[in-house]
Amino acid sequence: MIEVNNLHKSFIDKKDKKNTVKALDGLSFTAKDGEITGILGPNGAGKTTCLRTLYGLLSADEGFATIDGISVTENPLAARAKLGIFPDKFGLYERLTAYEQIDYFASLHGMSGQTKKQAIEQVIQDLELGDLAHRKTVGFSQGQRMKVTLAQALVHQPQNFVLDEPTRGLDVMSTRILRNHLAKFKAKGHCILFSSHVMQEVAALCDRVIIVANGKLAAQGTPQELCELAGEQNLEEAFVKLIGSDEGVAA
Amino acid sequence: MNLDLIQLKALVIKEYREAFRDKRALMVALMMAILAPVGIMVMSKIMIEKLVDEPPVYVKFIGAEHAPKLIKHFAEKNLLDFADVPKDEKSTWEQRNIAIEIPEDYAADMAEGKPIKLHLQADFTDKAVQPPVRRINNAVRAFSLSIGYKRLLLRGVDIRLLNPVKLVEQDTAKPDATFMLISMMLGIYLMLAAFMSGLSVAIDSSAGERERNVLEMLLCQPVSTLKIVLAKLISASTVAVIGVLLILILTSVSVGFVDLTKIGATFSLDISTAAVLLLLLLPICFFASACQLFVAFQTKSFKEAQSTVGMLIGIPAFIPFVVSMMDDRPQWLNWLPIAGQSMIIENIFKGVDVDWLAVFATSAVTIAITVALVLALAKKLKSEKVVMALS
Repeated sequence: MIEVNNLHKSFIDKKDKKNTVKALDGLSFTAKDGEITGILGPNGAGKTTCLRTLYGLLSADEGFATIDGISVTENPLAARAKLGIFPDKFGLYERLTAYEQIDYFASLHGMSGQTKKQAIEQVIQDLELGDLAHRKTVGFSQGQRMKVTLAQALVHQPQNFVLDEPTRGLDVMSTRILRNHLAKFKAKGHCILFSSHVMQEVAALCDRVIIVANGKLAAQGTPQELCELAGEQNLEEAFVKLIGSDEGVAA
Repeated sequence: MNLDLIQLKALVIKEYREAFRDKRALMVALMMAILAPVGIMVMSKIMIEKLVDEPPVYVKFIGAEHAPKLIKHFAEKNLLDFADVPKDEKSTWEQRNIAIEIPEDYAADMAEGKPIKLHLQADFTDKAVQPPVRRINNAVRAFSLSIGYKRLLLRGVDIRLLNPVKLVEQDTAKPDATFMLISMMLGIYLMLAAFMSGLSVAIDSSAGERERNVLEMLLCQPVSTLKIVLAKLISASTVAVIGVLLILILTSVSVGFVDLTKIGATFSLDISTAAVLLLLLLPICFFASACQLFVAFQTKSFKEAQSTVGMLIGIPAFIPFVVSMMDDRPQWLNWLPIAGQSMIIENIFKGVDVDWLAVFATSAVTIAITVALVLALAKKLKSEKVVMALS
């Protein structure tokens, strides 16, 4: 379970005090186990800042974030151990093979020996990476890179799973694999937090949607509830209405 | 295995994999190592040739036909017959008028083992004649000794009995300029190698990883930044150590091909000297890699890291130069990293006994600074500034 409570975060420009950016302004939400929670928000709404606070990379000015009840600021290493992360910008170690890279992240999570080997084999099989596993990642396509990144985030079977726009660049087949995978995780009782710009996907996949605008929670509920709340037929229209402007979608 | 070990092992293995698969970075390290001994060999060969240039000496031999072997030995030492003198030098050698008389019964006396007297005639007060006379002296002594040795050997006598005491000369005075240049060059080169060899690995694993967007992912993992820094330090300094080790091995091999004793320099890089040098340079390798990581992590891009860290390389080249120029060296210089080591290395090349206290002191200071750099870097990687610079 991921809980975010009253997060405030400002980025202060030391030279020009007026230039201060308020990235998070009292954001609170909860992502429950056994659910897929989607975060929607226009660019610059504070999604990445919120997630980075969740990873313990940034410390909030006010408020707190917990992962399975462990405070991220007080015990970042223990909190991160419960987390599988698919980052906003992802890169691969291009001189390593896919297998070595997954192995690396598995070891960082403290796995070793036969358990680790089985976990890697499992995740490679699940994501259909078998053909690529022992190739260096240097020439991989966007979709292949995405899969390797997913594999390294999932290999330790994290209780909580945070994905920052995971489907960009994936072809239909890969997107389906990912969706099935997330559904399986959900069924097993994992907590999945998912940010995306693709409305159909959020509507199809997410149990609950959190709409973030200007560092605040603008609305939350099931996709159906949000549509009803805004009085619109589809989620896209509802989203635009709820954040109060349409500039976010254009960006 | 506990968690810390598993993590550190995985980090180090990954850094090693990346470092040793980066052929370009390894090429730099190896190039340095291979260029050093070749450069030193060529330099010293040229110097020796200049210094030990033995110009031909023309001697008037009387009775040369009695001792063809002796004449041949003379010719090898560039002591030639006056009959062969070139025209433009004829008058000078005519004036110097050096003559050697070989007795008629040379061959017979030689066969019987009787002492033979060669007569050398020249104006010994003439300064220009002195070097040729000394060379003739040496040549005759060497020739005589070699025959004497052979005679003893034939009779089953160990010729080492003839040299019960041997004088090994170690000059503690300031060595002559040429030799100093060679040893100083090697000293500076070793320092440079410690700094240069691990350079590309250090930059690649810090600024390079940031640019390839893999650093953020790593910082999000449940692993302490100290371990991350340590792993990167270990991999970069391993490459640096390999570079230094290669230089030491290749140099000690190649120095064997150059006879420095000809110019009165006693230079040897035997295993124990090389071991002491390695011991001195090990902390430097770690120190250098720590400096490079520290700087490279703070830069915004790979390019910036390359140029900034490039400036760091000036330090190891600059400090030993300054130190060797200084006549009155303040005490605290002994303790400083690089300066301390370069002074000790200079002493080693001079043949002075190693001052172990100084070795440990300067190594301790160097390691302490390295540890401080690592801790500071680990702390910095936790700060928001580094995270903010990620995108």
